[in-house]
Amino acid sequence: MTSFTTRYRRAAADPHLRGGLLDFQRSWRVSRDGQMARLEERSGKSFDQLRGEFAQTKDDTLARLDDYIAEFREQAEAAGATVVEVETAQDALEYITAICRARGIDLIVKSKSMVSEEIELNHHLEAANIRAIETDLGEWLLQLASERPSHLVMPAIHQRRERVAALLGEELEQEFDPDDIPAMVASARGGLREHFLKAGAGLTGANALIAETGSIMLVTNEGNARLVTSLPKIHFVTAGIEKLIPSWADAQRQLQLLPRSATAQHLSTYTTCITGAQPGKEMHIILLDNGRRSMAADPQIADALRCIRCGACANVCPPYQVVGGHAFGHIYTGAIGLVNTPFHHGPEHAAGPQSLCVSCGACAEVCPVDIPLPEQILQLRSRNAHAPLWERLALQFWARPRWFRLGARLGALASPLLRRLPLPPRHRWRTLPPIPGRTARQRIAARRPQPPIAATEAGERNVSLFLQCLTDTLLPEAADAAARLLEAAGARVYVPPKQHCCGLPAFDAGDWETARRMAKQTITALEEHPGRDIVTPAASCQIAMQRHWPQLLADDPPWRARGEVIARRSYDLAEYLETTARLPDGALAGPPNDADDSYAVHRFCQGSNVMGWDARVERLVARLTGAEPEPLREAATCCGFGGLTSITAPEVGQGILERKLDCVAETDAETLVTNNPGCVLHLRAGAEARRMPHRTQHYAEYLAARLP
Amino acid sequence: MTIVRSPLVTEFETTLEAAQGEIARFDSWAALASFACSLDLNPVARSGLPLDDIETPRSVEAIADRPVGVTQAALAVAETGSLLLVEPDPLDRYVSLLTRHLIVAVREEDIVPTLADAFGWLAAQPRAAAYATFVTGPSRTADIERSLTIGVQGPSRLTAAILTERRP
Repeated sequence: MTSFTTRYRRAAADPHLRGGLLDFQRSWRVSRDGQMARLEERSGKSFDQLRGEFAQTKDDTLARLDDYIAEFREQAEAAGATVVEVETAQDALEYITAICRARGIDLIVKSKSMVSEEIELNHHLEAANIRAIETDLGEWLLQLASERPSHLVMPAIHQRRERVAALLGEELEQEFDPDDIPAMVASARGGLREHFLKAGAGLTGANALIAETGSIMLVTNEGNARLVTSLPKIHFVTAGIEKLIPSWADAQRQLQLLPRSATAQHLSTYTTCITGAQPGKEMHIILLDNGRRSMAADPQIADALRCIRCGACANVCPPYQVVGGHAFGHIYTGAIGLVNTPFHHGPEHAAGPQSLCVSCGACAEVCPVDIPLPEQILQLRSRNAHAPLWERLALQFWARPRWFRLGARLGALASPLLRRLPLPPRHRWRTLPPIPGRTARQRIAARRPQPPIAATEAGERNVSLFLQCLTDTLLPEAADAAARLLEAAGARVYVPPKQHCCGLPAFDAGDWETARRMAKQTITALEEHPGRDIVTPAASCQIAMQRHWPQLLADDPPWRARGEVIARRSYDLAEYLETTARLPDGALAGPPNDADDSYAVHRFCQGSNVMGWDARVERLVARLTGAEPEPLREAATCCGFGGLTSITAPEVGQGILERKLDCVAETDAETLVTNNPGCVLHLRAGAEARRMPHRTQHYAEYLAARLP
Repeated sequence: MTIVRSPLVTEFETTLEAAQGEIARFDSWAALASFACSLDLNPVARSGLPLDDIETPRSVEAIADRPVGVTQAALAVAETGSLLLVEPDPLDRYVSLLTRHLIVAVREEDIVPTLADAFGWLAAQPRAAAYATFVTGPSRTADIERSLTIGVQGPSRLTAAILTERRP
């Protein structure tokens, strides 16, 4: 297999790939959401309830996996099947090869099986002089092209019709018009028929293994799995041990979630259940471990074994849309591929794809079995981190408040010159941010407090403003605006002097040792004033305190407890402005300094996907200004900043940003407001490079401009 | 005479049509047989159906790519527009899979409300479960540039033939 770097470069240079995947993601989202809404209505349960219940079933099954395997084996063997458990890919390959040799089989027809991809079955069979033919159209096209799947469900989604026409043309010695897709599909029917008739064995995967009767369930749309399991005399099933479920009722609940999440169908065309060997035939069910038991024994990762291989995590993944599954994955693609690849294929195959994840959380929000994919990806990144030297040095620099501030001062001096120099070619889609001479803390210290404009509960509160390191140096006006809004609500605002960085950059980069140091430094700095509420305009830091610190400090109970106290005292600014510091409706309805005040809101992706804030910023701004936002398509989709990803994988940062800015261009908004400083910087840098007319602001700035 | 359809039947029809399936109604097997023969002079049928004039071939070669096939569903699911085919005999599967236009007879009284009902029925019938398939519309793929194309390995047309005649 080509190296990650080669796969990444190739994908990043292919505009058709990202265009096709963008269309796909958008249409899938609409259809899938419609299907889920109808399911919720029909079942009277929310998506979270439905997925929670099925996730619980999977967890309970995995907790007693050996019992269920034993039950499955007993039932399937009573129905005439042979069930073998194998530990490694090699064991599986040897078993299948040995049966084929013993029966004189030299041709196998296959329906789609990810486990057979996982163990690289075709390649191995070829070496043993056994021909394997894929009969799922997508898999067949991959086979003709000597490629790997780039999506769990639509394996050939990266292939363009011209390529398909050429591949089929060569195989079938026939000319194809690339625009006549029905003709190409029809040829597959004819082209594969003789293989079905001649094959000595058929091989399928299994979407579920039903323990109570020893049955397998297969979900397909083409009908090829039914032929694979009907025509040849031998039926091989390759399945991971995590596919076990106790009962038929559980299988039915899996079917509520699987096709809707996979292809946005309420049910796939063919759902086939087979129990045991059919009369006169053999059935061999190969249950594969290949790292799954290690996953089960790993408390941070075990939830990933709930996966039902729907591919939804890829269908919402912004980096996947830009580079596709050949770069964003190994053999398993999408977010789940970043989690299971280290266990099935080794950490060396996961590191590259993992570096592309922007931690936006979209995958976890849509996962039908509620796998905490972003946390797991970060967890694995921390275990296998081998960041380049410059990245490690940069983090060490970042982790030291004095060095950081010195760097900011030097940066401020050099900024006007640096902004005139061209950026390296891979970064020319953005501009460097200007670095203001004065930091936020200097600005706030140098001005008089904003007089209160209304009495709120904050009138009796002292507030520690947590600035965020980036905001302090690069967006001082946003932090200052946050302080003024709090003061306008009557709060006494303090800026704890020792504050620096919550540790998020190092946490995202997988350098958790450094991240812990930074988190502890922040905890200490904020503990100095125990009576104050802590408020931050940086949504990402708020999420880091509430969600990442417990993960980061899990093995250090005293610090974990101290972090929890700080997190409990902390508020995202928008939340605080809706509760304790709630200014009256329309309090900021006055005219701004400039005439036009139409605005659209980009929602910080983690705020929506991880915290469920949804339209929090829209509601706040609309309530205070009395003006509704311009609708923005895909408002909660990541902007592409993604921590260090936009620097280490600039094409990913660029591609995601383009999608976002294209949506912004569809609006007439004069101002794009958002709730996270990283987003402000990224969106501003891209808009400036594209010379777009709107301005980009933190919502605090937008609101504070309307203070009297 | 107005025909009153139960909400269950209407739901089944709507969901199957949404999956590109077609609906026909017959008051007898004989009416169904003449419908099949009107589509093609030589339709084929799975074994065991009360269709005296329709051939039931005994080899895959004799079934493959025939224009019209007739089979029967054990039950149908209103919620999903699915027809449950119980086919322990592979020849029956070739009829439902390798003919171009498949007609699936189902008695109106055998339409159940939900997939859960159908799974409950299956779980209680070990023999039926040996090879059972829920068919929801004609065969399809979107593997070439996500373009939905009807008819790959399986039939390109699927008609659910609802039999209004009650079981004798």
